[in-house]
Amino acid sequence: MRAGVNRTLAVAANAFRETVRERVLYNLVFFAILMTLAGLLLGQLSVRQDEKILKDIGLAAMDLFGTLIAVFIGTGLVSKEIERRSLYPLLAKPLSRGEFFIGKFAGLAFTLFVNLSVMLLALMLTLVLTQRRPDLGLLGAVYPIFLGLLLTVGFAMLFSSVTSSTLAAVLTVGVVIVGRYADVIRGMREVAPTIPPALVNALFTILPNYANFDFKSQVAYGDPVPAGLLGWSTLYAVGWLGVVLGLGLASFRSRDFQ
Amino acid sequence: MSLRLALALALAATLVPLSQDRIDRRAGVFRAQEEVLYLWSGENVKRLVPGFENIAADVYWLRTVQYFGGQRRFARDKRFDLLRPLIEITTTLDPRFEIAYRYGAIFLSEPPPIGAGRPREGIEVLERGAQALPGSWRLRQDLGFFHFLFLNDPAAAAKVLTEASKIPGAAFWLRTLAADLLAKGGDRASSRQMWRQMFEQAEEGIIRENARVRLRILDSLDTRDRLAAAVAEFERREGRRPARLEELQAARLWKGPLEDAAGVRFGYDAATGRVFIPDTSPMWRPD
Repeated sequence: MRAGVNRTLAVAANAFRETVRERVLYNLVFFAILMTLAGLLLGQLSVRQDEKILKDIGLAAMDLFGTLIAVFIGTGLVSKEIERRSLYPLLAKPLSRGEFFIGKFAGLAFTLFVNLSVMLLALMLTLVLTQRRPDLGLLGAVYPIFLGLLLTVGFAMLFSSVTSSTLAAVLTVGVVIVGRYADVIRGMREVAPTIPPALVNALFTILPNYANFDFKSQVAYGDPVPAGLLGWSTLYAVGWLGVVLGLGLASFRSRDFQ
Repeated sequence: MSLRLALALALAATLVPLSQDRIDRRAGVFRAQEEVLYLWSGENVKRLVPGFENIAADVYWLRTVQYFGGQRRFARDKRFDLLRPLIEITTTLDPRFEIAYRYGAIFLSEPPPIGAGRPREGIEVLERGAQALPGSWRLRQDLGFFHFLFLNDPAAAAKVLTEASKIPGAAFWLRTLAADLLAKGGDRASSRQMWRQMFEQAEEGIIRENARVRLRILDSLDTRDRLAAAVAEFERREGRRPARLEELQAARLWKGPLEDAAGVRFGYDAATGRVFIPDTSPMWRPD
């Protein structure tokens, strides 16, 4: 058991190093420039709304950059190893497919964690430098963003375990977009009453609702996000991750690499 | 890097600012902005940016402020056509954007050349804001102020201010002001109190400056009225109207300045005895 965990962590550490080597964290430089420019200019342009807008920009950038990393790196995590044939010697070692799959997921999750943490620190620093209070309440939005990104990585890995990395990226982007429109699907009953309610309910249930990870607006206005709500969001993410990673793993295990 | 490549790079890099300078000389540094809004419905914009509504609202708000400033400063025919839709889109994307309602209403309500001169639309924006943010007494306060200041409707203003005074945390003077409006039917003192409140509540910027100007206009109107009273007194004593306002000073009926708060000399019609703020003065506003 312990050896298995160690092997998984070794794969995770390797996946993290790989993303760093691929200069994924360079997006932080762009984020730093964005925050600096926003801090300098918004006070002049926004009419008393610089703090709110700084938080909006910071949180939206975390969500957007994180999603891009989750999709484009997530879809390559497994498929690249297959395409480069570097997977074969790995699997010949005492390393199970499950350890490899989960290790890769954990590695990218850690990359996203580092990415979000640095962005959050940069946002706090910008707030301090513009004579604002460093708002710890921002964590109430950043943590669910992280959960949403983990789910996106899960989908990226699921799709990349059954198809090519390009198609997997397209499918993952599709799921993320549709997931952000989940409320529209739920509201279809009012807009189009002829659609059977069971169909609407089924659609709403089988698609991830990314709105459950979106508390940016509340936090930007300084409202606290209730711990209970964050707890349910965490459970929602854990449930979905269990399903998605389980399906991905099952598919990866059943693949014939001969 | 070879010398040739370095030279080519340096040449290319020089071309950029040089060509920009030439373009600016021909087309002007501040070129006319395209007055186009591709999406007129906030709901449509909202559907395009799921999860990013707030930042989209910020972008539209910045555009609103820039559009208003640009029209005010550069446009010859200040129509402010896009102002209302920009405010609507901003507040649909982020219904809690209180400043967008408050400032947007000012932008819409102030008479030209300061604003769009559409106070009813300004009031509609505030009403929408009061619906979206029922706990905001400031929005209702502004709504009451606007009913009085721009629509000259003290009864409606008093009703809204009374409602505002019932919201938890509301300023204590709202109820008194509402009572004054009902009792006196609205006078310059009420206007002064409202603009004074707006001045004191606003931070440095467009709204505070606007309130400052409004207070100076009220000062100028007071001075004008006192001058008109001095003209009437002169006529009563001398049996004729003064030919020029300086005669009031010679007759010791006037000691103050003959200029308004902007330093522009008051107009005077010797035929009718009317004293007025000339339309060349920044203190002039249409009646």
